[in-house]
Amino acid sequence: MIVKTQYVTFDQELKLRSGATLGPITLAYETYGELNADKSNAILVLHALSGDAHVAGRHAASDTKPGWWDEAVGPGKAFDTNKYFIICSNVIGGCKGSTGPATVNPKTGKPYGLSFPVITVADMVDAERLLIDHLGIDKLLTVTGGSLGGMRALQWAVSYPDRIRSAIVLAATARVSAQSIALNEVARQAIYADPNWKRGDYYDGERPNVGLALARMIGHISYLSETSMREKFGRLLQEREQYGYEFNTEFRVESYLKHQGLTFTKRFDANTFLYITKAIDYFDLSLGLSSLAEAFRNVTAKFMIVSYSSDWLYPAAESEEMVRALLQNGVDATYVEIKSDYGHDSFLLEVDRLGGLTNDFLARVQKPHPAPKHKK
Amino acid sequence: MANEKRLDFDAIADIVPTGARVLDLGCGDGSLLARLVEQKQIEARGVEISETKVRAAIARGLSVRHGNIEDGLADYRDGAFEYVILSQTLAYLNQPEPVFREMLRVGQRAIISFDNAGYWRDRLRALFGKGMGNTLCSGEQRVRAITLDQFKGFSGQLNARIENAVFVSGRRPVYFLPALRANVAVYVLKKA
Repeated sequence: MIVKTQYVTFDQELKLRSGATLGPITLAYETYGELNADKSNAILVLHALSGDAHVAGRHAASDTKPGWWDEAVGPGKAFDTNKYFIICSNVIGGCKGSTGPATVNPKTGKPYGLSFPVITVADMVDAERLLIDHLGIDKLLTVTGGSLGGMRALQWAVSYPDRIRSAIVLAATARVSAQSIALNEVARQAIYADPNWKRGDYYDGERPNVGLALARMIGHISYLSETSMREKFGRLLQEREQYGYEFNTEFRVESYLKHQGLTFTKRFDANTFLYITKAIDYFDLSLGLSSLAEAFRNVTAKFMIVSYSSDWLYPAAESEEMVRALLQNGVDATYVEIKSDYGHDSFLLEVDRLGGLTNDFLARVQKPHPAPKHKK
Repeated sequence: MANEKRLDFDAIADIVPTGARVLDLGCGDGSLLARLVEQKQIEARGVEISETKVRAAIARGLSVRHGNIEDGLADYRDGAFEYVILSQTLAYLNQPEPVFREMLRVGQRAIISFDNAGYWRDRLRALFGKGMGNTLCSGEQRVRAITLDQFKGFSGQLNARIENAVFVSGRRPVYFLPALRANVAVYVLKKA
């Protein structure tokens, strides 16, 4: 599957939750499959912190790796491109083609850097709505994603209840916990501490790659579980037989994290990492309300919520909290906790077990409820 | 077990009216709800503790919540359902009473079916020192045996009125001496 990233620019200014405005806004997006005649088969896939518009397929046959969720999006897969029209766009604040801190501010002719306004999950969703309008789709069949993607699916249901028929929320939370904020803050501090960061004004010089790599290493720990780490690395040493009694990379787990950190700096922008983690920290659907249930008052979409037993970043209990708040509003909410040892990353890895669920759920969403023939 | 389950399914399918909103507690693979959707076009919801069974129920096109019914039905609104069903799940509950009370709050009516531990073959087995029959011998933990008389006493304590009762043995309804002759009892309760 060869795909091409597309771009659309909206000249209007978006009013942000902070009170600031952002515009013009460019969004990078990709689409897969065909939109049907009545435009009822569109699915918006929402990426997580480090994702982008390139969810599946390859940009060129020679690409070594496909898109970030290629296992789940494609012909016959969990999100079947033979049946559905799949859309995926890079978030605002991102660094993969959508307007973000690395974008040149048309007013100054220089990259935004930290003059880029702080954005929220709701702001990201507002920008995504512009794209759905642009594509001429009145109602999405579903919005789906894991982690930050799951948060945006929830936000879609709250911000635009009339624009979606369903939402599939994976490994997410409706209010980000102190533990998650703590991890994000340590990761941000790693970037702030890099002398190359220069309060975000680094685009014409050396990049704060040491800080960004460290931030990614911290993140990676939170995506795994104790079990998956034990099974994947144990106490194995990397390319050596015995301890060196020195401060070098010795354990396989150290080598893995270092590699993940380094690879990340080649494809990601440190300021984007700051902006997106900040948006995650702010995410609390119950903000200013008496309860989470109140946030879901106007929700009409059918929900499928999936959690993973070993996810300690957004634990199953937080998904259950969401389910309870939805049920209190009488929302049709299906919930499954998948037993898995892969931690938060399960939503990317347990794709086989997800596929059956999404296909069965979407079949029900599309099926009209049989009208009662007669009352007894 | 699978065959016995179908015994009470027939009775429940007769009881539930067309188009009703129904919650099935411990819905298993969703076979009862799927049948009620098919035959009675009900609006179906289920709760089930096993991931495998939740998946099977979702595959039948049902809306199911993965969870333990004893952790509470508190999130369902008062009278949210016309019928709340507990089909052959009673014996697995640690504390049936709070579940019954919640069923009668969340549902306008509760349908409760269970294996009758007073069934004559079970009584004979008990007499001959082989335990209290199927339910106790099934090897499941926490499984309790219930007789029709015990159930009637219990529903009285809950201030619930028995609106309807159907007893089934083999494939046939039982009208004579159900306490001895019924394998499975199906009760419809309503708040008194």
